[in-house]
Amino acid sequence: MRRVRFHARLLALYFAQYAKARLAYRADFAAAALASFLGTAASFSVVLLLFSRFPHLAGWTFPEIVFLYGFSLLPYGLFSVVSSNLWEFADRYLVEGRFDRILLRPVSPLFQVLFESFRLESLQEVATGAVAIGWAVSRLPDVSPLGLALLPLWAVFGAVLYVSVFGLLTAASFWVEDRVGLAPPVFNLMSFGRYPITIYDLKVKLLLSTVIPFAFASFYPTALALRRGEYLPYFWAVPLVAVVFALLNVALWRRGIARYGSTGS
Amino acid sequence: MSDPAVRVRDLVKTFEVTKKAPGLSGALKGLFRAERGTLTAVDRVSFELVRGEMVGYIGPNGAGKSTTIKMLTGILTPTSGEVSCLGFVPWRERRAYARSIGVVFGQRTQLWWDIAVVESFQLLREIYGVSGADYERRMKVFDDLLEIGRLLSQPVRKLSLGERMRCDLAASLLHEPPLLFLDEPTIGLDVVAKANVRAFLKEANRRLSTTVILTTHDLDDIEELCERVVLIDHGQVLWDGSLRGLRDEHLPEARIRFDLPQPPPGDPQDLVIGPWTAGRLSPGRYLLAVDKREASSADVIREIVRGLPVLDLAVSEPDIEEVVSRIYRENAALRKPDAPPPSEGAAPGFVSHRGVRRG
Repeated sequence: MRRVRFHARLLALYFAQYAKARLAYRADFAAAALASFLGTAASFSVVLLLFSRFPHLAGWTFPEIVFLYGFSLLPYGLFSVVSSNLWEFADRYLVEGRFDRILLRPVSPLFQVLFESFRLESLQEVATGAVAIGWAVSRLPDVSPLGLALLPLWAVFGAVLYVSVFGLLTAASFWVEDRVGLAPPVFNLMSFGRYPITIYDLKVKLLLSTVIPFAFASFYPTALALRRGEYLPYFWAVPLVAVVFALLNVALWRRGIARYGSTGS
Repeated sequence: MSDPAVRVRDLVKTFEVTKKAPGLSGALKGLFRAERGTLTAVDRVSFELVRGEMVGYIGPNGAGKSTTIKMLTGILTPTSGEVSCLGFVPWRERRAYARSIGVVFGQRTQLWWDIAVVESFQLLREIYGVSGADYERRMKVFDDLLEIGRLLSQPVRKLSLGERMRCDLAASLLHEPPLLFLDEPTIGLDVVAKANVRAFLKEANRRLSTTVILTTHDLDDIEELCERVVLIDHGQVLWDGSLRGLRDEHLPEARIRFDLPQPPPGDPQDLVIGPWTAGRLSPGRYLLAVDKREASSADVIREIVRGLPVLDLAVSEPDIEEVVSRIYRENAALRKPDAPPPSEGAAPGFVSHRGVRRG
């Protein structure tokens, strides 16, 4: 418990310090936030366009689609806020040698890598997602209050799942030097989560529910709120899936760090 | 506290290296059949440090200094051997151990690059759990000794190398660790900055009895700070003892320079004085090198002034750079299998690269 408190306080401090430094260049930050928002708006308009063609996408109404899309932005936005160092881990930490410094501090290495820098502008995705959900709820005839209440928590589980999957891919750079590899195609898979999983064929469904279980981050968490009883077991499995992947991630990082210790690179 | 602060026994670190043949064809070959070899960076290194000791760990580039430091700080896991620092096995209890040590790598900052120095200090304060009162008090001491006060509001990336180093040093001691590792702490600093850093380290060592291991290229650092040096080359300890002992053992020479009112007839290259020969430096100026084990400089001087109308005379000893570079050369010659043994100039007390002598 003391360790949890220690890390929570440290996270708050890391975030505050980083935000302070980042906001010192206000125009720069405003531009980044605007660009980020335009990106979100563009992908949202694709959804709108798609829906104008198929008013009942595989049995989903327009407000439901907006709800799904809005929710998918929550874990995705949280993930984007903390993932910037994962992308640059191999170059910035392993090649440039910053990882040595990480190992000299009495704080979990993975914690330091994740929280040493933030993509603050991605918080707009969380805000945009919340607004979209709010609009959808006002249009939907029947939304489960419990499902709605659990959404924020389930969004955090979703973000943990995303971070863990990319953490696993990043940890591969402890062993292989080629680091372009798998991360970008896996990243592209995240956009599948914006649509109801029912529109995909079986192979994609299986992929998103098992090996790379992004459906547990962005689709299944909406099942309770939208009263999609057939997905309820998946809904309740979300925390489990997130925790399992988080543990796998921590275990692989541990192995990777041990390997770093024996090779020094 | 009779236990040593640091105990290193038969420490070995080997790395796997892939040999690459030159050129494109070599690169292609490497794709199919990479030739692997092992490189021994640290080869059976042993030493002990008592609490409060300040030791210089020196050696030429690639001697294994940094690899040793990385094992002692818990970054690297040794291939074999034992290390116990403050009762910890560094790489096994890395996080707990990290609370008790401070580390400065001269080449790289330990601070966060983009945020103001004072904010880095506040993060470190939280990480190491330094109380508010201790923090204030220590920061005041750092400002007195290192004058970092006016640097605190700037981001690290805007500091000069000397300023950054002062901040890094302060950061490494914020939690008052009993053991401090310094890897090239004066690299790239000007004379004034070097003097500041050395004075600070002396003071920290005196006030807190911090045990310090220092690697450096600048032997003046060692001469000013360390009673004891551990010298390694090719991963092996060649010397462990006092700096004076190192000099006496390897280059026990006194150099006597003297001036005559005018060059002797014919301005000869050599001047024979009793059993010794002085060499001509310039018209009327000569230098005589004496092996101190054979004669005292006083005897030689007496002999010189007895026979010659000496105007001026000065005695000096070889500086430590020269001693150390001679040891490296001798060791390099010794390591070549078909080279003749290092005869000329080699002091008889030369430590073979197997045995270690303490002086």
